[in-house]
Amino acid sequence: MFLQFLFISSAILTLACTVAVLVTKNLMHSCVFLLGTLVGMAGLYATLGADFVAVTQIMVYMGGVVILMLFAVMLTGGKDFVSRAQNLLGLPASMGNKWTYSMGIFVGVVFILTNVKLLSSIIKTTPTKTIGNDFPSTVTQLGHLLVKDHVLAFEISSVLLLGALVGAAIIARPRKQN
Amino acid sequence: MMSLASYLIISMVLFVVGLMVMIARKNIVAILLGIELILNAAALNFVAYSRYVTSNLDGHIFSLFIIVVAAAEAAVGLAIVIRFFQIKETIHVDEATQLRN
Repeated sequence: MFLQFLFISSAILTLACTVAVLVTKNLMHSCVFLLGTLVGMAGLYATLGADFVAVTQIMVYMGGVVILMLFAVMLTGGKDFVSRAQNLLGLPASMGNKWTYSMGIFVGVVFILTNVKLLSSIIKTTPTKTIGNDFPSTVTQLGHLLVKDHVLAFEISSVLLLGALVGAAIIARPRKQN
Repeated sequence: MMSLASYLIISMVLFVVGLMVMIARKNIVAILLGIELILNAAALNFVAYSRYVTSNLDGHIFSLFIIVVAAAEAAVGLAIVIRFFQIKETIHVDEATQLRN
C-alpha cells in the first residue's frame, strides 16, 4: 500500500516536472524542475528496490549536477534573459522558436508511435518475475560486484572522472591574451 | 499498477521529453538539461529490467556508471559553456560556428 503510494506520487512528480522542464520559459525554473524530476526518479528507484542507486542519484545529481547547472545559468545569464523576446511563443529566442518546437513535437510523436509499437510486443514476450514486497539491501552485493566483476569499468571511470575534472578546469580557466 | 510496463512508459516519456528539449531549445544549458533527462531514462530502464527480468544486480551497476558519466559530462559541458560565454557573450547555440579559441 505504501509502495503503491510512493510509486504513484513519484511517477506523477517525475512526469509533471519533466513536462515543466520542456515548456517553462525561464531557464532557471527549468533547472529547478529538473531537480523535481530527479527527486521523483530517486523515488522510483526506491520502489524498484535499488536503495544505493536512489541515494547516489540524490547525492550526485541533486548535490552536484543540478547545482553546476544553476551556476552555469547564473554565470551565463547575460543578455539572453532580457533583450531577445521575439518569437511567436512569447519565449526568449534562446528558448527556441516555432520551427524548432514543431520539429521537436514531430520527432516526439514519431518516437512515441514507434515506441508504443515496440513496447507492446516487448512486454508481451518478456518473461517477468513475480516479485514480492521484500527489499533486501543491495549495498553489500553492489560492493562485491564493483570490485570483482566490474573492476575494470570501475577503474576506467575513476580515470574518466580525473580527466574530466582536469579538462574542465583547463577549459574554463581565464586566458590573458583574449 | 507497478509493473515493468509502467516503468518503461515513464522512461519513454522521459526520453521523448529530453529529445524534444534537445531539439527545441536553442540554449546550450537547456540542451544539457535534455541530455540529463535522456541519461536518466536509460538508467531507469536498466534498474527496471534488473528488478523484473533478471535476478542479478548488473542493471544497478550500469545505472551507477551512467550517473558517473553524466556527472563528468556535465562538468566538461558546463566548462565549455562558460568558455563559450567568455568569448561570444551569449550561449545561443546558433552562434557556435567555429572551433577555434
